[in-house]
Amino acid sequence: MTLNNNHIDYIIKDLHYRGIVAEGIETELIDHICCATEEKIKCGKNFIEAYHETLKSFGHTAGLQQTQKKVILIDNSKPKNMIKNYLTVAFRNLRKQGFYSVINIAGLAVGIAACLIIMLFVLDELSYDKYNEKADRIYRVNNEIKFNGNHLKMAVTPAPLGQIFLHDYPEIESTVRFRNHGSYMVKRAEGTDNIKEQHVMWVDSTFFKIFSVKVLEGNADKALTQPASVAISKRAAEKYFPNRNALGQSLTFDNKLTAKVTAVYENIPETSHFHFDFLLPFFGNDWPGKEAQMANLLSNNFHTYLLLKKGTDAKALEKKFPDFVMKHVAPQIGSVFGNDFSMEKFLAAGNKFELTLTPLLDIHLKSNLQIEVEPNGSITYIYLFSIVALFILAIACVNFMNLSTARSANRAKEVGVRKVLGSLRTNLIGQFLTESTLITLFSFVLAIGLAYLVLPFFNSVAQKHLFIPFGNGVFYFTLLGTAIFIGILAGVYPSFFLSAFKPALVLKGQLAKGMKSGFIRSSLVVFQFVISIFLIIGAITVNRQLNFIQNKNLGFEKNQIITVHDAYALQSNLQSFKKEVLKINSIESGTISGFLPVENSDSWRNDNTFWKEGNQPTAENLVGMQNWNVDYDYLKTLGMKIKLGRGFSNEFPSDSSAVILNEAVAAHFGFDNPIGKKISTFNNDLPNGAPDPNSIKSWTVIGIIENFHFSSMKESIKGLGLFLGKSDGSVSFRFNTSNAQETIQSIEKVWKQLAPSQPFQYSFLNEDFGKMYDAEQRLGKIFGAFATLAIIIACLGLFALTAFTAEQRTKEIGIRKVMGASVSSIVFLLSKEFGKLIVVAFIIAVPLAWYAVDWWLKGYTFKTEIGVMVYVFAGLFCLLIAWITMGYQSIRAAISDPVKSLRSE
Amino acid sequence: MAHSPELLKGTLQTIILKILKDHGKTYGYEITHRVKELSAGSILLTEGALYPTLHRLEAEGLVKTEKVLMGKRVRKYYLLTPEGKSEAKDRVAEFVDFIKTMSTVLQVNIA
Repeated sequence: MTLNNNHIDYIIKDLHYRGIVAEGIETELIDHICCATEEKIKCGKNFIEAYHETLKSFGHTAGLQQTQKKVILIDNSKPKNMIKNYLTVAFRNLRKQGFYSVINIAGLAVGIAACLIIMLFVLDELSYDKYNEKADRIYRVNNEIKFNGNHLKMAVTPAPLGQIFLHDYPEIESTVRFRNHGSYMVKRAEGTDNIKEQHVMWVDSTFFKIFSVKVLEGNADKALTQPASVAISKRAAEKYFPNRNALGQSLTFDNKLTAKVTAVYENIPETSHFHFDFLLPFFGNDWPGKEAQMANLLSNNFHTYLLLKKGTDAKALEKKFPDFVMKHVAPQIGSVFGNDFSMEKFLAAGNKFELTLTPLLDIHLKSNLQIEVEPNGSITYIYLFSIVALFILAIACVNFMNLSTARSANRAKEVGVRKVLGSLRTNLIGQFLTESTLITLFSFVLAIGLAYLVLPFFNSVAQKHLFIPFGNGVFYFTLLGTAIFIGILAGVYPSFFLSAFKPALVLKGQLAKGMKSGFIRSSLVVFQFVISIFLIIGAITVNRQLNFIQNKNLGFEKNQIITVHDAYALQSNLQSFKKEVLKINSIESGTISGFLPVENSDSWRNDNTFWKEGNQPTAENLVGMQNWNVDYDYLKTLGMKIKLGRGFSNEFPSDSSAVILNEAVAAHFGFDNPIGKKISTFNNDLPNGAPDPNSIKSWTVIGIIENFHFSSMKESIKGLGLFLGKSDGSVSFRFNTSNAQETIQSIEKVWKQLAPSQPFQYSFLNEDFGKMYDAEQRLGKIFGAFATLAIIIACLGLFALTAFTAEQRTKEIGIRKVMGASVSSIVFLLSKEFGKLIVVAFIIAVPLAWYAVDWWLKGYTFKTEIGVMVYVFAGLFCLLIAWITMGYQSIRAAISDPVKSLRSE
Repeated sequence: MAHSPELLKGTLQTIILKILKDHGKTYGYEITHRVKELSAGSILLTEGALYPTLHRLEAEGLVKTEKVLMGKRVRKYYLLTPEGKSEAKDRVAEFVDFIKTMSTVLQVNIA
């Protein structure tokens, strides 16, 4: 007979009662016992008799449980079950400890997101110029010249250098030169409207052979070998010739040079240290074309790149360059200074003319010379950001470690019971590691989401186009690997710590007390706050320096000045443009000059060497200084102050041969009273480009102006002379209204009348000035963000730790209150412990921060003072934030009713 | 006469594998039943030994299981995996070899 449902229910209940509950064995045993019972009933027994007889064959309850235990042990040793088991317990723990889990996961997620973004940034920076297949054989030549107080480290070299190198050194396979001639007005040859283009470069025809820029249309080998030809990027082709074939069409540059498009090339990757859209070959009567043929080795205007033959040692090649200087450069310097010149004497006097090589892959991050093709990145900031990102991650990991060990008192019992039941230490470690890995995995998922949301903001600050490579398998693989690694890293200390408990001691309740003050835990909290305080001081420093720069007395008035660029497009209408604009009510004055006291691609620079009139020019008495061409209204419009003498005036026709010096250079000439004294310079160049020693012109000093900043505050103020002359780069106007928009519109109207079809480009001088410090502003913002993150994560941890301490000490607080302790004394008691740690952190952080601040500010000639107050402020700020964090928990604990905490035992 | 459990210990897996091989899908009670029948009652497979052995074989990947719902009861069938099948063959061969060795060692003649 078969058993009915009542019988089966009876058996199930009875077996449960006997402790047979394990999944995997329970159903099996029920079935077995049912079968055996049925068999026995068939032999004539009643149900109860049959059932008990069956149980007997198992050895009753003890035998059943023995069997169950054996099966469980076997099942648990299956890897699949083991992990499943770990996961189940881990999930239960996470749910049970919801508050701590949320803090752990949120903290870690923020840390990981920050780390992820920084990693994307760093990888992007490190990938610059790697698209070049021959990257490891390409080198750029640099030129360092030190001469009479001028020290130039330049990324540019003389025009003929590449050719001579190629001739002299067989290890060089090929060379290419770039000549930047500023921005150009570009239009279709048959079109009318000009567009201003920044990325126009004059190059040698070897460009495509050396750099791996793919030519999409046209012949790469022949594209740049003909006069009046131009190679353009795909971007430019689409811009000027939308929906048609650009090849064979013509473009006009600056309204005079018309060139036929001979090639269209793939846009140069963003991760390149140059981004040219137009490549013009060195031909024709235009200046760069002519200049490229000159033999002058003393003027440096060309970027020269070498492609070395395979297996060439670049260092060995570099060692041959001093001989090159002796052989080719020395005679040219000699021809300027006369016969008694000798290169040995020149060098012995501390002067320098040194050629060096920079590997292509180092240019973006490690090269920061004068006249780079584009501003480069900086390896220092890459290191700095990487370290800071790792610190933030470390802070988040510390939270996890601290909370796990702090809560160990609660889990000690669990460990004890598990060990008594036969759990091995490896099982426990496995369990704890599973928990930590699970937390990191959750955090990683959350972190990717966070990073995705924050990346657009980061991109706008860092001026990048970073994206999360969602389609990339390697990315996920790396993330998963890192998640497991971090999970194990963060879990290893707690798991070894917890699994080492002695069950007998734990269950007796002895160990739990010793857990409250862990030395390691305190050190970790100190570590977190050292980093937080350090970052806060860093952020304050960068912002103070920025503030200092913005508010420094520059020596000119940067506000309320609008600059109209590319004034040369007005051609003969230039003067009338100025006159017309001055008729606008809000315009006070205007000046025509391309030389402006801000550094960017639109402001012109020119330097030359001078000497006191009457002396012979020798290597010893030359003074190098900037010479700027300005007009009568320059000083008035830009607000420079005259210290001695007077400014240019049209009442003195002789002012055409007058000069105004700044204080910095006036001292160099060594005049007692400079006004009325004369200085001389070479007036003409020989056909080869070197100065002609027989053509000398003199200038009379009519005024001395106070020093003003015309380059970055990283440098001291250099010598400068102002000359009356034509300089049609831009026109600047001082206006006196708060409604700048209206003024701009009025100026634009005048421009449109006088220069129809030319683009109207303007900027405000104070904004141009601000842009010079873009890098600092970015650094300030990023540092600020990091400091905020660090302190948030650290406080999150502190919050949980205080909550935990309060929880642990509920009874103690209850008793204290009953004995008459005040709320404030209890709050103080609870926050004292961690308050001390922050003070220790402050003491450690200050010297570190002081050192870092000192190092960073060393880069500036003009810098702010970072006083003691900044440090004190950072420390107090940290303490305050921490106190608020702890205060919430402390006060909650302190005002809780002692009756409640004491009654429940 | 029932054999001593000491003797059975080393052969338990072999017996179970062989039964599963000959019989295909089998459940726990059926195995004990079959062993009893084949040995004419002289080998009593205790449940305390059977289930741990089955679970160990499963952990080693020699057998797999199928669950069949039978009213209120769930029956768990065991069947050999391909590795289990070759293992069963090997174990039986090994055991025959063992008996031969034992007969020489003990100097007895097994019919």
